[in-house]
Amino acid sequence: MRNQIYILGKLMEIVIIFFVIMTVLFFLFRLSPGDPVSKVVDPMLTPEDTQYLIEQMGLDKPIWEQYMVYLKNCSTGNLGVSFHYGEPVFKIIKERLGWTILLFTSSTVLAALVGVFLGKISAWNKGSRLDNILSISALVCYTLFIPWFALLLLWIFGFKIGIFPLGGILSPELWVTNSSWFARGLDILHHMILPLITLFIINLGSYLLLMRSSMLGVLREDYIITARAKGLSEKVIRNKHAAKNAALPVVTSVGLSLAFSINGGALTEQIFTWPGIGRELIFAVSNNDYPLAQACFLLIALVVLLANFIVDMLYAYLDPRITH
Amino acid sequence: MPIWIRGLPIDVRGRTKGVFMLKNHYVQRFLQSWKIFIENPLGKTGVIILFVFMVMALASFVVPHINPMYDPMIGIDPNISISTGPSLTHWLGTDNVGRDLFAQLLEGAKVAFIVGLSSAFFSIVLGMVIGMISGYAGGTLDTFLMRTADIIMVLPSLVILLILSSLFGQFNIWIIVFIIAIMRWPAVSRVIRSQTLSLKHRPFIEASKVAGASHLRIIFRHIMPNVLPLAFLYMTFRVTSAILVEAALSFLGFGDPSQVSWGMMLQWVWKSGNMFHAPYWLLPPGISISLLTLAFYLLGRAMDEVLDPRLRKEGRA
Amino acid sequence: MGTSLKLRVRFCFNLLLLVIMLIAVAAFLSSCQKPRNPGLLNIGLPEEPRSLNLWLGTDANSRKILSQIYQPLYRRHPETLEIIPWLARENPVFDKKNLTYTVKLRDVKWSDGSDFTSEDVLFTKQMVFDFKIPRYYSKWNIIKKIEAPDAHTVVFHLKKPSAIFMSRVMTVPMVSKKEWGTIAKEALTKAKPLRSLQDYEIEKPLGTGPFVLSEYKKGSYIHMKKNPYFFGRGQKIGNHLLGPYVDSLLFRIYGTSDVAILALEKGDIDYYWGDIQPGYLKDLKELDSIDLYFNKKSALYFLGFNLRKPPFNDKLLRQAVAMVVNKEFILTRILQNFGTPMQSVIPSGNHFWFNPNVRKYEDGKTRDERIKSAYGLLKAAGYSWDTPPVSEDGKIVTPSDIRLPSGETMDDIVILTPPADYDPKRAFTGTMVQEWCRQIGLPAFSRPMAFNSLLDTVKGKHEFDAFILGYGKLNLDPDYLRSFFDSKNDKPRGWNMSGYHNLKFDKLARMQTTLIDEKKRKVVIWKMQEMILEDLPYLPLYNPYVIEAIFNERFDGWVSKVDGIGNIWSMCVVKPVDSLEE
Repeated sequence: MRNQIYILGKLMEIVIIFFVIMTVLFFLFRLSPGDPVSKVVDPMLTPEDTQYLIEQMGLDKPIWEQYMVYLKNCSTGNLGVSFHYGEPVFKIIKERLGWTILLFTSSTVLAALVGVFLGKISAWNKGSRLDNILSISALVCYTLFIPWFALLLLWIFGFKIGIFPLGGILSPELWVTNSSWFARGLDILHHMILPLITLFIINLGSYLLLMRSSMLGVLREDYIITARAKGLSEKVIRNKHAAKNAALPVVTSVGLSLAFSINGGALTEQIFTWPGIGRELIFAVSNNDYPLAQACFLLIALVVLLANFIVDMLYAYLDPRITH
Repeated sequence: MPIWIRGLPIDVRGRTKGVFMLKNHYVQRFLQSWKIFIENPLGKTGVIILFVFMVMALASFVVPHINPMYDPMIGIDPNISISTGPSLTHWLGTDNVGRDLFAQLLEGAKVAFIVGLSSAFFSIVLGMVIGMISGYAGGTLDTFLMRTADIIMVLPSLVILLILSSLFGQFNIWIIVFIIAIMRWPAVSRVIRSQTLSLKHRPFIEASKVAGASHLRIIFRHIMPNVLPLAFLYMTFRVTSAILVEAALSFLGFGDPSQVSWGMMLQWVWKSGNMFHAPYWLLPPGISISLLTLAFYLLGRAMDEVLDPRLRKEGRA
Repeated sequence: MGTSLKLRVRFCFNLLLLVIMLIAVAAFLSSCQKPRNPGLLNIGLPEEPRSLNLWLGTDANSRKILSQIYQPLYRRHPETLEIIPWLARENPVFDKKNLTYTVKLRDVKWSDGSDFTSEDVLFTKQMVFDFKIPRYYSKWNIIKKIEAPDAHTVVFHLKKPSAIFMSRVMTVPMVSKKEWGTIAKEALTKAKPLRSLQDYEIEKPLGTGPFVLSEYKKGSYIHMKKNPYFFGRGQKIGNHLLGPYVDSLLFRIYGTSDVAILALEKGDIDYYWGDIQPGYLKDLKELDSIDLYFNKKSALYFLGFNLRKPPFNDKLLRQAVAMVVNKEFILTRILQNFGTPMQSVIPSGNHFWFNPNVRKYEDGKTRDERIKSAYGLLKAAGYSWDTPPVSEDGKIVTPSDIRLPSGETMDDIVILTPPADYDPKRAFTGTMVQEWCRQIGLPAFSRPMAFNSLLDTVKGKHEFDAFILGYGKLNLDPDYLRSFFDSKNDKPRGWNMSGYHNLKFDKLARMQTTLIDEKKRKVVIWKMQEMILEDLPYLPLYNPYVIEAIFNERFDGWVSKVDGIGNIWSMCVVKPVDSLEE
């Protein structure tokens, strides 16, 4: 019962936070300097044409009325029609979301796996040269300037060596002919490698460092000392006892570090012409396409909130004291 | 649970004791810590890199006086109108309008320090004050402040800055600094809050309460000195993220256009189409960003170990 | 310690293995890409087109696609720029007395095989009027009615004589009744007809152009195939024997221009349909497989002043600024010599209408001479300085504290420019104008501003001192002078951004629209340019070239015209290199 109340409370919290974000977003977009009209309407039109377009878009209504319409639409899942593309925002997001999920999950999973592995080794050999090399490389990964690094990768591997394509998600000349699904799958994979490496490297640093510090903490715990006293082999202690416990916070931290990954993800998508949510958001923002930018941002906020909710739940499950 | 700073964990366990002792014999303690700190290989590397950049930042004040063409923004070599490689008069070469790249790099170092340090400072002050108030007051105010912190903590700062700057037009550098600070206080305030919570019931706080000290006095006179070293530690990490965010923003073209910075240099090399054949223009700012942020990060790590005696001992063993 | 060493060795080995595998896979993947279809023309697009709905896709990238599909009755000859028949069979017959234009149509088929008839022209007109289509409606307003005596004849009745009828009405693309009839009927019943028309999703646009849409993969590519019913095939129009000679077009969407240019250098694409920054030229010039095209642009980049308030309500101050602005510098440094300085508000490439005899402000003079002239002008007008820019012994010094003739100090002058990421040239020009103004003591500050905020400030609110803007695609017909400077258009969101009021100019501007005789009209247009360059509501600055590049190993025969080689003529005549040799 107590657990259910806890979960319900957390859910309520998310709903409220989401509502606050939605409202803040709406007013930010509407109250920014320069009337919304000039942002949407083509500046080259005559005043008469402009006025006509404004009426057609519903921008002539008072702001409260627009807000109510916005809330009503959002609650029914109707995110509006993109000013720029003239298509329902929902449809655009649906098209883009798959690509982002593909890139994000694969790079996160990969980075977490390798990060945990390397972090384990690093912590186990604390103070050794290997540890220093790993820590410093992790720090360098972490402080890399993403767009710079991505462009460098693109230039070296895509252009100079030429074994990877120059951005995009597929080779059109392959797709316009009747190629097999297998060839198409391989093609997408081929295009994915460079952006994947970029995101992987950015995330790797933080996972490695986290695993290292978490592992160091675990190694100080009593049960490791007990295990040693029992005469278990070092390898068993490292892999079975220490690493397993140390990896937990790393897994749960995926949710918390999501905001950071999204920054990097948007930049990576932008450079590699990866048609995902992040790139669409940058595009919508620079074209003042409110409905689209709003929806992209709401989606990102929702994903982040949900991920954190899951982390909370996981923690509550692992450590029952929290709910009490 | 580790506390997160822009995706990076800082272990805060077992910190309280060490911090509390710092209050007495401050100078002596400081010298001792400095010794430990400088002996730490991470700290040493960090300090050396930082020193180099500091010299560069200072040199940026001198260079335009040598010759007006070395002004990073408006100085133009009268004989050069395309991007050229390194030479004796231009150590790193020139950009496409004939401005000196080395002068821009120096100016960029200055701006990176300004942006990094000031936004870190603002966010630490904000985080510290909110954290102390939240921890000290407790109750609804605590819940409200920490929920707000939660919201801000999960929002991607670059995306928000992008949205804001496209809505409100080009920001000047101080507004960018300020927004980064606002996006960055929550993690600090959480740590400070837990620190405050543990201090709250210490005898000396109780004693000053009994003696009739006001809440404000207790917070700023008794609690603040005890959380200050921790806040300083966090400041070094904040610097890192502020520099990176400002650079990314400038790179995307939403930075302060009247201010030369490393991100701006990268934006120019990108937008002017010199990206792929002017390595002398492309590489230095990118490497500088990484090195400077790395230096601050190393500094933070070293400080972390100094402040946490337990970690230090193990590190030596 | 032994285990740790072993571990390290194993770890390094694993890592090495992984890297080798990765490279092997990549090499395999890149080698197994199929050889390309020889009839496939690859074109790089800088951005995703907005929409394939003709009424919404008015942005540059949508037009690149849609202009291959929807065709006008008349279009401009690529070399002479005269208006020549396209869907129409011949030049229209003008009846001066009844004010009618009679147009005969060619035998044209839509891409689905059905006939294009006068019904479709009537339908297009009906759509423009029913939905008050922005951009078109205000021009089409002069049409009283359209009649279709038979399937291949259309008669336009005008309300009054119009000099812009041919260039602004006859060049509008025609749509088919079959495709739009039911959509239009349905949209008209909605509360917001235009918006619902624009939101209508068009998957297969139906047109009469050389290509038809085959597949659109959002975010990646657009594939267009040859239209089997294209009317122009084998015909000689505008001095070109039309094809198309390629089987299909593949538009690839690139997010950043550097990647697109790398793709061009590599030969992934045959043409990048976008502007190339001068910085790339050094690399591109060295490659034998790349040809570069430099074309004039019908564009106007200018410094605009606010004539509504001090200090720029004083004509002499504007003239002084014009004297210190060094167009030569802008051309050589900022444009890297890829452009022309702008003398008048009509580009010099527009030979017929351009007036070369307008007032020039110290062009070609040195910095010191410019400052002295400007100083002399301002001093005579009553401006004063604490330290004048020219000392008593004739030396140029740093001036301070300029005062207006009234004795008041001058407030800060802000020069608004678009941000550097939008247009680095204009942003940097702003910085330079700031420096030049400071040479004569004006407290000028250049401030880049997000493009939309800039337009709102300048066009909507009129709260500014000066600004730098540009029209990238000026119509070749000079009627825009009327739009820009007619005092009638000085209203919020009106086109007269400077607030220029000159009754004489207004009279000439309105008169020229009715002059169908081009020679008479030219005299008036020349006079108008002289007035603008004397009064300087706008100071024309520069006109950049359109720089384009192609990969020359597979296709050849691009058609250069004003605004570049990206045009329907190129698409109709570009041939595979092999077929040229035969």
